[in-house]
Amino acid sequence: MKISDIILLAFNNLKRNTFRTVLTMLGVAVGIGTLSSMVSLGRGVSQNISSQMSRNDLFTGLTISSRDFGFDSSPQSSRLLTTERQVVPLTDSTIYDLEQKDEVAVVFPELIKPAVIVFKGRSVNANIKAVPVKMGGFYPFDNIKLGEFYSSESEPCVVLSKNVLNRMGIYTDKVSSEDPSSVLMPVDSVIGADIEIITKIFDIDKIDLITSSKKQLPLKNDTTILRVKGIVETNSFSAGIFSDGIFLPTKTCEYIPCIDLQNVYDIINGNSGKYGKYNSLHVRVKEHSMLKKVKNEAEADGFQVFSIGDKLDDFERVFFMLDSILAAVGIIALVLSVFGIVNTLLMAIYERRKEIGIMKSLGATSSQVKLIFYFEAAMIGFAGGLIGVLCGKIASAASSRIANSQLENFIDSNIEYFTYSWEIVLLSVLFSVVVSIAASIYPAGKASKIDPLNALRRE
Amino acid sequence: MALIEVNNLSKTYKKGDNVIYALRNINFDIQEGEYVSIVGKSGSGKSTLLNLLGGMDTSATGGVYYNGKNLLEMTEKELSYHRKFTVGMIFQSFNLIPTRTAIDNVKLPLIFSNYPVRLRETRACELLYNMGLYNRALHYPSELSGGEAQRVAIARALANKPKVILADEPTGNLDTATSSEIISLLQMFNKKHNITVIMVTHDKETANRVSDKTVLLSDGEIIKTTVNQKK
Repeated sequence: MKISDIILLAFNNLKRNTFRTVLTMLGVAVGIGTLSSMVSLGRGVSQNISSQMSRNDLFTGLTISSRDFGFDSSPQSSRLLTTERQVVPLTDSTIYDLEQKDEVAVVFPELIKPAVIVFKGRSVNANIKAVPVKMGGFYPFDNIKLGEFYSSESEPCVVLSKNVLNRMGIYTDKVSSEDPSSVLMPVDSVIGADIEIITKIFDIDKIDLITSSKKQLPLKNDTTILRVKGIVETNSFSAGIFSDGIFLPTKTCEYIPCIDLQNVYDIINGNSGKYGKYNSLHVRVKEHSMLKKVKNEAEADGFQVFSIGDKLDDFERVFFMLDSILAAVGIIALVLSVFGIVNTLLMAIYERRKEIGIMKSLGATSSQVKLIFYFEAAMIGFAGGLIGVLCGKIASAASSRIANSQLENFIDSNIEYFTYSWEIVLLSVLFSVVVSIAASIYPAGKASKIDPLNALRRE
Repeated sequence: MALIEVNNLSKTYKKGDNVIYALRNINFDIQEGEYVSIVGKSGSGKSTLLNLLGGMDTSATGGVYYNGKNLLEMTEKELSYHRKFTVGMIFQSFNLIPTRTAIDNVKLPLIFSNYPVRLRETRACELLYNMGLYNRALHYPSELSGGEAQRVAIARALANKPKVILADEPTGNLDTATSSEIISLLQMFNKKHNITVIMVTHDKETANRVSDKTVLLSDGEIIKTTVNQKK
């Protein structure tokens, strides 16, 4: 018996009871739709997070410090935290040594100063952060859509994070419905405009205030006026230093006077100069695979090193668990639909008992009878799988849309929560066919064992 | 050598503690091209014997030999082959598949025998034409008369060019005129194509008239074998 004959026989058999066949297919469709949606949700979530992290260079970034981070749980680190550790100061020569490594793309020291920002009559608290010109080739500064990134380390300008601008109630595209005081400003009026940066510095004249009954800090304001050169859009996945704030060329940032509380703390504790010129260094390696080597070398040099990229395996484990849990939910739905297939085929055997007897009296073998039932199940599985994947995709797209519309005020960009790759579509349909055939093993076996004599005797 | 040899064939079944003989020590030969009728009252074992000859039933003792091979010792695959190529079966109730048209019913054995796809239509049409049913090819069994349905069943039985036709009361559900037509058709295939016909019937007169040999069964035993001089 040829495959085309089996397909035709199976198709005609299914066509005979269209309503029941369609209902069974829909059962499979629900199962496969749920399974594929769950798998694509798991994939979507993990891919979104991974790609966002990767896009934000989180997997290629390292932070090196002389100080203990206090949250590294490695045994070696714990030991060092509890005993006296040899402190290696961070200096310009540390930066130079790192820059000489083939694996390293960029090194720059962390320089963050708290400030009050005044712009267009509105003010907000924000950190000003030194970011070197060479970071212009890296996310998020490689794709500034409003204005541009600075080109000199001493340029008297800033690049504003869009978040800071929004926190001041200033929007360049549309006003916020949740902030009645928000205003819409054309990009042209923001780029090139002056921005005031107010920092706190020591006021020597008021130094006696610390000991007086007023208990005030001897501080005064210092105002620096710079020009807005660009607006950078960051998102919730951006690495800590780039998630929010105002970004300045390194020299420009260094010129802005501001009290360094860490420095004061070190002086009080007798550690002045112990940790070197910088609190920490940000390092970008060229590829994720190079991260471990650079990290190990820095640790061997006596520095404390932190990187999210190091936790990639942990992330992958979590994503695998998430995938597995979601797939399990889908499989439960599919198992339920399998009962529908078994029921349909058993009913078909009952109805076609005599017909099976006739076929056997005409020379059909048991395996040929089995094959007909396998193909009937496979066809139900194939059609149900296709319908399921299609409906799952439509439902997923709708869910993504609803979720994005509900979360638009919390998340910067539209996220595809479901990833329906061709791989998922093909595997879902294939899985549906395989599961359907598996479900038909018992009914097909039962059909093949029908005794033609008994079947024909039953009139 | 005989085409079919039946040696000491017995079949029993249990009813409570009693063993009932459906067939007891049956022995006879059938030559190629013979027209044999098996005659007897209801419950005499005629259909049981025919089913054993057709390989539909193998739960018996003794032997049913086709060209020296015992059907009772064949595997399921060999029995399927026997039903496909050696014998063609015709039933009293026609046993056509109601959801398939006449031509599709005729094509069914061709599907199981891997007959070339492009030739199936021609073969089925040729058979229906020979039965005078060319114009009924696309009709469903429910749209055919009893005689037409039985002729479709004969066409289906002949599809794979079997050596033997086994007919189980082929005229049992038909009126006299139609019965004659069916018997004539069987005679024609027997004479013209040298196909061996084994027919189970109640009708002794018809059996004696058309058969080369009549086997009379009673309570599972052959009580008389008559060789008829004229057909």
